[in-house]
Amino acid sequence: MRPAAPLWVVLPALVLLPVLALLPGISHGGGWELVGEFAAAALQPSLDPLVVGSVLGGLGVTAGIALLGWAASLALGLVLGIASSRVVWHTCCGNAAPASWIRRLLALPRSIHELLWGLLLLQLVGLQPVVAVVAIAIPFGALVARVVSDLLDALPTANLEALRCGGVAGPAALVTALGPPLLPQVISYSGYRLECALRSATMLGVFGLGGLGTELRLTLQSLAFRELWTGLWLLLAVMLLLEALVGWLRRRWAMPARLGLDRRGVGRQGREILVASLVLLPSLGLVAWQLGIEPAGLLRWQGLPPLGPADWGAVLALPWASLVGSTLLLTLLAAALAVGLAPLMLLVAQPCRPLLALVQGLWALGRLWPPPLTALLLLFVLQPGLVTGALALGFHNLGILGRLLLEAAETSGAPQQQALLAAGAGPRLALLYGRFSSLARPYLAYGAYRSDVILRESVVVGLVGATGLGSQLLESLSSFAGDELLALVLVYAALTLLGEDLSDRARLWLLETPHGDGPPQEAGGPWR
Amino acid sequence: MAPLLVLDNICVRGRSQPRLDRVSLQLEPGERVALLGPSGAGKSTLLAVANGLLAPDQGSVRWSGQPRGRTVRARRRQQVRIGTLWQDLRLIEELTVQQNLNAARLAVWGWPRALLNLLLPLETAACAAVLQRLDLDPALLNQPVSALSGGQRQRVALARLLRQEPLLLLADEPLASLDPRLAADLLALLLELASPPRALLLSLHRPDLLAGFDRVVGLRAGQLVFDQAGSSLETSQLKALYAGAERP
Repeated sequence: MRPAAPLWVVLPALVLLPVLALLPGISHGGGWELVGEFAAAALQPSLDPLVVGSVLGGLGVTAGIALLGWAASLALGLVLGIASSRVVWHTCCGNAAPASWIRRLLALPRSIHELLWGLLLLQLVGLQPVVAVVAIAIPFGALVARVVSDLLDALPTANLEALRCGGVAGPAALVTALGPPLLPQVISYSGYRLECALRSATMLGVFGLGGLGTELRLTLQSLAFRELWTGLWLLLAVMLLLEALVGWLRRRWAMPARLGLDRRGVGRQGREILVASLVLLPSLGLVAWQLGIEPAGLLRWQGLPPLGPADWGAVLALPWASLVGSTLLLTLLAAALAVGLAPLMLLVAQPCRPLLALVQGLWALGRLWPPPLTALLLLFVLQPGLVTGALALGFHNLGILGRLLLEAAETSGAPQQQALLAAGAGPRLALLYGRFSSLARPYLAYGAYRSDVILRESVVVGLVGATGLGSQLLESLSSFAGDELLALVLVYAALTLLGEDLSDRARLWLLETPHGDGPPQEAGGPWR
Repeated sequence: MAPLLVLDNICVRGRSQPRLDRVSLQLEPGERVALLGPSGAGKSTLLAVANGLLAPDQGSVRWSGQPRGRTVRARRRQQVRIGTLWQDLRLIEELTVQQNLNAARLAVWGWPRALLNLLLPLETAACAAVLQRLDLDPALLNQPVSALSGGQRQRVALARLLRQEPLLLLADEPLASLDPRLAADLLALLLELASPPRALLLSLHRPDLLAGFDRVVGLRAGQLVFDQAGSSLETSQLKALYAGAERP
């Protein structure tokens, strides 16, 4: 008995059973009224000019931080990506070894979540807008670097070799042969990163690094739900606009879709891309000036509270096994919830347009709503702990996976689905058999990548005592226990790198074509 | 017995000109009808109307004397009687041959069986029987479709059609991408299958393959040009049908 491809996609949803079984045990039921008020307030957000003005101000700061962090991470990522590409080193120096060294070095900044970077910098230089920008730029930059170097090394090298044989110098040959195929992929990917940056900037705000996130958290904690929804609706509007814009540009410029199912070369839109980049540069400067970004501020370290002598015995005495175990459990639970629920919801909702719109709305909310805030909301009715944290992380990632699944379902397997419909199959079964069959492998491969992101993200629900390394880290951070902090960050980083390796292997295995027609698809690619 | 398919005065609008313009056509049980016409004549549109995927802008369609069902259930009972052989076959690559054959039964199966089919081999005897009827080895049942050769795929798609047990067989240029021998084999099989109570409507490009058909229908620019016995078709009619069409 071996489940067939369409079942793989929905099997992770089985995790709902234990979660539902656990829920009565952890719910305290005290706050259903509050949850009701919260839901009711969605329909009547506060329109008080003072509230709207302050929300718009916060949104401006968040968007500005996202834009600057994104731009910095792209610049950083491109440079580092080229510097860690094997083909670049091989062409220019005849030896690809330095590429692997740089790659290994970049693993460390990548493995530490932007929230940790933010909180660490906050301790060092105090609260200023540049902290959030740099916190986003460091891990995002390292991630972009990895993607860029993966993309570069996966490009066919025939053209490059042909140019080299003709006596063209290394750098010129690289730019000519690899630049054009690389550019559309990088632009497409960077659009997606901008969406991520907006989410991260909001999330950093929740932890007090400024912008809308801070206001969302304050209004939630003071139970001012109508004001909270003012911020949420505006944020939702901005995010949906951004997603639509990115999608539209991607289609207009014939960029590869995020699923990599549909790769066409860049069209004749080069001029538009150039103009867009030229407009972008001065507007970045303007945003930085508006936010009062002062890069020099990073050099003025504030006096740290005196650190006690390191007590490595106490560090060793931390319950490491349970910390690591619950972090992994949290990750698996959240990943299974997100990966399994998205296709299940699509199956239920797909034939009914209004229901599908509702589900899409819920997913959009999940995407923009920072997981720590979901966790705080869940605390109204649930006790803090692993399941609560997993639900919050799961909801957020469900929004991301759901949108991707829908995008993918719209581009793959249509003929098969149509054939089944023509033979009288119901719309849901036609979707399950006709579309999910071909989607199963790439979707689960993306799910594997997502689990690796969730592992990194598990720190953000540490806020609600969701056990594991995340909450211990935040605790050590607030008690200035430098030795503990160092050990925890290193263990976290090691765990993330291990997770990344595992998820890479899972993806390679999933994307391998089972019957050897064609090369295995590339494991990283524009999915990240 | 009511005709299996009646298209009455069908119009389908297109962007600049109609894709189908007042087309009427009737298929009796046991009839084998070839649909000829240059690319863009509206053959695929006609077949899409005939299999119920496309609702015409004007005109009416009746299957076995019935108009399009009003409830979802009624429509599905209707659809299962209409079998389509697609040019690109539309087999589900990731599933086994048996799962693909059983997919043709999804219209009559409920969810439990549909899910079970993705876990266990179901109705093996019935699946093996349709394979054998098409001279395929029943050992193929466990193979994923992606592991089959081109000729095997053609036959599996046909086996799936049989498994559906339709009355009206529709085929959209099934011979287009096949080598001459494979095309002749497949055509012979289709013609053989179309014995009463079944009927066949098949679109094709090649006037040299009309021998086994009872009637030939010519379509050009969305209009019916002729509908007559294959034996009475004149070369001049064919020339007129394709005149000027093959040039870009």
